Parts: sequence; structure tokens; C-alpha cells
Amino acid sequence: MGGNVRHPPRQMTTAPSPVREPAWSLSRSAIGLWVTEGAIASVFLGIGAAAVALFVPSSASVAFLRWAVPAAAVLYAVVTIGVRPWFRFRVHRWEITADAVYTLTGWLTRTWTLVPISRIQTVDVTRGVLQQLFGLSTVAVLTASSQGTVRVWHLEADVAQRVADDLAHRAEQVRDIAT
Amino acid sequence: MNGPIEQNEPIARRTSPRIVLVHTVTFRQARQFVPAVIPIVAATGLGGGMTTVVALVVGVTLLSLLTAGLSWWRFTYADGPNSVVVTRGLLSRSVRTVPNDRIRGVEVETPVLHRVFGLVRVRIDAATGAVPGKDEEVVVDGMSAAEGDRLRTAVLTHRHVPAPDDGAAPVPAEEEFGRFDNRWLLYAPLVGSYLALPAAAVGALFRLAQELPENLRPDFDEAALASVSALVIVVGGTLALLLVGSVVGAAIVNWGFRLVRRGGSLIAVRGLLTRRHTELEIDRIRGTTIAEGAGMRLVRAARVNALVTGLGDATRRGQLLPLGPRQEAWTLARRLVDDPGPLVSHPPAARRRRIVRATVGGLVVTAAGLVATAAAGWWWLLVVGLVLLALGVPLGLGRYAALGHATGPGSFSVRSGWLVREQALLQRRAVVGWQVRQSFFQRRNGLATALACVGAGRGGYAAIDMAAADVADFTVAASELWASTFSRPAP
Repeated sequence: MGGNVRHPPRQMTTAPSPVREPAWSLSRSAIGLWVTEGAIASVFLGIGAAAVALFVPSSASVAFLRWAVPAAAVLYAVVTIGVRPWFRFRVHRWEITADAVYTLTGWLTRTWTLVPISRIQTVDVTRGVLQQLFGLSTVAVLTASSQGTVRVWHLEADVAQRVADDLAHRAEQVRDIAT
Repeated sequence: MNGPIEQNEPIARRTSPRIVLVHTVTFRQARQFVPAVIPIVAATGLGGGMTTVVALVVGVTLLSLLTAGLSWWRFTYADGPNSVVVTRGLLSRSVRTVPNDRIRGVEVETPVLHRVFGLVRVRIDAATGAVPGKDEEVVVDGMSAAEGDRLRTAVLTHRHVPAPDDGAAPVPAEEEFGRFDNRWLLYAPLVGSYLALPAAAVGALFRLAQELPENLRPDFDEAALASVSALVIVVGGTLALLLVGSVVGAAIVNWGFRLVRRGGSLIAVRGLLTRRHTELEIDRIRGTTIAEGAGMRLVRAARVNALVTGLGDATRRGQLLPLGPRQEAWTLARRLVDDPGPLVSHPPAARRRRIVRATVGGLVVTAAGLVATAAAGWWWLLVVGLVLLALGVPLGLGRYAALGHATGPGSFSVRSGWLVREQALLQRRAVVGWQVRQSFFQRRNGLATALACVGAGRGGYAAIDMAAADVADFTVAASELWASTFSRPAP
């Protein structure tokens, strides 16, 4: 598209990210959690795919679904169990700076979220059923904006609690009147 | 802090008894029995014809009168120096206390029937920011206009200055910000929401006709409906109805619209049948949006909304200019937020991306059409696909042309959208967070989307597909110092 100008190879492989990365990575247990989540989703999908393979009549014009749907299900399972957790772990990062909470999430689409401590309204710590198995918690930081919520996923439970307490305490001290 | 003695103990007040009549006529309370009545009616049927209908009407009216009377009798409100207390409920009593410092706005409205009886309805809005919900609104229905004004001033002045008495507060000077010119009603047929108004009315009429008993329904001759001239009349009539209906609808909603500044508040008054009186605190205004639909752009019309923190039902209440010329819209918007200057357009890669995204649907249909033509001779699918593909290109170009962002000393601006092109002008202090998104394809093209999270309006306003390299500078220029976390090297 750009004529004969060759892009430097660095840009082709790792395109420049719009903003810098947060400093800290998640707990490694998060990989185990993501694998488990992927396995559970794959089991349900597999049941659905098996039903399709059994009940689609072989004579109909949609007979190709008998192999296409199970194949898609297998592909999905391989990606969610074998690829995505490690990919995500490499991408996901978080950081609490002097005046903001900063996270990076996603694997194909990446989202950087930055919320200043002065605009924090509430800080929640949640532990899902699976998270409890792996000893993890999620810290959710809420602001006045419905879209300005930042979640730090899958921190070790004690780290999460410390982070939440610290944030709540600092938010109280520097809270802005402007919401 | 305490005023005279009667200030300490707020008096429980009742609404005017005349409201019972209004509510009887409008079935305000009896409406909740409708789900119970329908199966009864369905079971007995309307076989008796006129007599049953009349009996039903009388019965329902009596029921309505009874429930309206009971709920009037059980309803009291009191405005104290610190809070507004509303008590109600037929059997189980509910007492609702709204602290004055949580009240975000007061709206006085006068529907037609209320006006006949000289009454008003006051809505006290105490919405919290993050959790939207109608429950946060307190409605006191059916007081005299003077009492409504007193309540509004009382609630608002208690909040601004705790000490002074009601009524004694001097009326601050008014400054007119805008006034609706009735010629602007002619823009209405080009605005989607006003066009939808008569369409909805026609739909409701048809439904009503279906509900009527057989002998009350107007008789149509099936054969006459089928002829061509009848078709022309119907289509022409519908078009004319839509045109006239949209203008009439816009007039009903916006008649006599006036926006004035009184002290620290903006007050909007409007409506032909129902007069609405909405008050917004200027201190809570974080920005404005200027929206131009595709049809409105043809005639250079626009509408302006205020972005107010913690305002419930913001799309209606925040309207500062419901419909008007673009120039008028900009003059008004600039009075509230500094204009950050002309927009910076986004890089050419953003144009490619908009076109690709607008044509991808057409491409899929075209591909399916090719297969279908080869397999089954369904050439029409191919034609549809090609038409969609051809339309996608101008659509993508139009969507790209709308994109842009700008930063000024105290404010910034982002614009996007084609069907409704919306430009948000926001104060820098409005931003409560940033969300930068980059999809796989955006990363390959060096683009990113920066969403400014705002505790008002839609909650977030995005600069779509801006150059990835500009994001960090833009976020710092558009919000406060904390945003430099994006560019400052990690510790």
C-alpha cells in the first residue's frame, strides 16, 4: 500500500504500542485458572457439537455440519486451552503508581485502562468459585463513569486485599470534589 | 445554622385534593389493575356489546376514583433544612428520605390536565453516578403552581446556602442563553426521532382499532383498497402524515423552548401541552455534545445536549437546544465549554479501516452470491452483495470524515459517527479515566482508540482510530497530570 517504502522489520513484528506497558505481571496461577475455564467451556461446547453430529441427518444438504461443527469445536478447545492462557499471561499487566491504577488486558484486542486515584469512588474485591480454587481475587475499581471501571484480574488473594485497602485509603485522602 | 422554629420541624404537607380528579381520569393508580382485568374481560368476552363496554367503563372509573383517593390520602411530603421526606403507601408505609446534598436537579412539569386544574408535578432527581435507575427519583404529583415553585426554590436554596428562609431568597438576575425560533420546527422531518413520533402514533391507532369490538370498527371495502389509485392515496397520505406529524410532534415537545441562566443554574422551559421546567447546575456541567443526523447535516441543523454528572434521564433533561441551526448550536456550546479549536483529522490508515469495515458485509454477501449463482442460479443475491459493496465505500468515507480530535487549554473534543455525527466538547476535569484499545488490525496499522471515561452522558467518548503514536500526548493534553503515567517510563 505504501509504495516501495519498506517498513523496518521491528514495526512489522512488534508494532509500537500506543502507550507504555504497566510494570507488573499477574500471578502464574492465573494460567491454571484460564486453562480450567477454557476446559469447562470446551466441555459444554463439545456436548453441543456432539448433539449436532448425532442429530443432523446425513442425507440433508447441511450434512457437512456433521463434521464442520465438531471440527470447529476441537479447534476452539485447542485455542482456549492450549494457546490463549499463555498468550493472555504474556499480555496482562498491572501497576499502581503514585497517582493512578493502570492495567493492560486482552490477547488479540488489547485494552489499557488508567484511572487516577483521585477519581476512585469504590474499590471491590471479588473471588469467584474457580478463583478460590486457585487462591486468586479480582480488584475492581469503580468511578463515576459507567465505562471507567478498571479490574485487576487474578491477583493472589492477600495481594488483592492489600491493594484494595491501600487504594481505598489513598482515594479517601486525595478525593476530588469533581466527579 | 437553625432558622426560626418552624424550620426545625418540617411540616408534612399534602398535595392538592384536585389531583384525585386528574388521577381518576388518567387511571394513574388503576393502571396497575389492567393485567388483572384483561383476563376477566377475555373470559366473559365483550359479547354483550355496548352495555358491557359501558358497564366496564363505569366500573373502571369508580375503581380509579377509589384508588386515586386512597393514594392521595396516604401521601405526604415534607421539605426540611437537610432533606426531603416522602411518605406513601396504601397498606405498607414507605418513608423515603433524600438528603438535600444528594439532590442533583428539580424539574417542574405541567401536563395538560394538570394545567386545567392549576396543578404541577415536581420531580426531584437524586441519581447516583455509577448506578443508573429510576428509583432515585422522587415525584410529588399535584400541587399548586405556587407551591411547586416554592418547593423547587426551597430544595435548591437549602442546598446552596443552608441558612436563609424559603421565599425570602432574592431572585438572581436572568440571562437568556437561547430561545426557540418556531421556523426551526421545519427541520423536524429530517430528524429520525421526530419522524418516529407519528409512526408510533399510527401504530397505536391500528392496535386500538384491533381491540375494538366488531360493530365499532370502521368498515373498509376490500376491493377498493386494492386499486392503484387507492395505493397512491395511501402512500401519499402516509408521507404527508409523517411530514406534518413530525412537525406537530416537534412543536408539542419544544413549543416556547427557552434556556436561561439564573444564578448558578441553567433553566430550560418547554412544551406545548406539558410544560416542563428543568433546572441544571452549571457547576455539574462537564461538557456538551453537538449531534447532527445525516438528514440534519443537509440543512445545517444540529442539537445540543449538556453532559451533567449524576443526571438521571440525561438525554431528555440535558437538552439545551432541541433543534436549531448549527451556528446557534455552536454559539451555545461555546458559552459552556471553551472551544478547543479545529479538529485534527485521523491518519489515512483510519480511512482504509473505515472503508474495509463498511464493505466487509457487502463482500461476504457478494461471495455468498457468487457461490449461490454458481450452485443454484440465485443471481439476485450477487446483485444485493454488489450494491452493498458499492454503498459501503461512500459510507466508509463518510465515517472517516467524521473522525477527529482536538485539544485546547482547558478542554478537548472528539467527533465520530455518520448516521448521527456527534461531537463531544469536554472539560479536562471531566475525565475520570482512560481506556486505550487496540485490536489486532489496529496494531498492524499503527492505530488505536482512546476512550475518555466521563461521569456524565454516555459514560465515555472516544477518539476512534487515532494514530497510536499520538495517544499518550493526547491523553495528557486532554486530562490532568495523572495521565502522564501512559508515557512515563515504568519504575
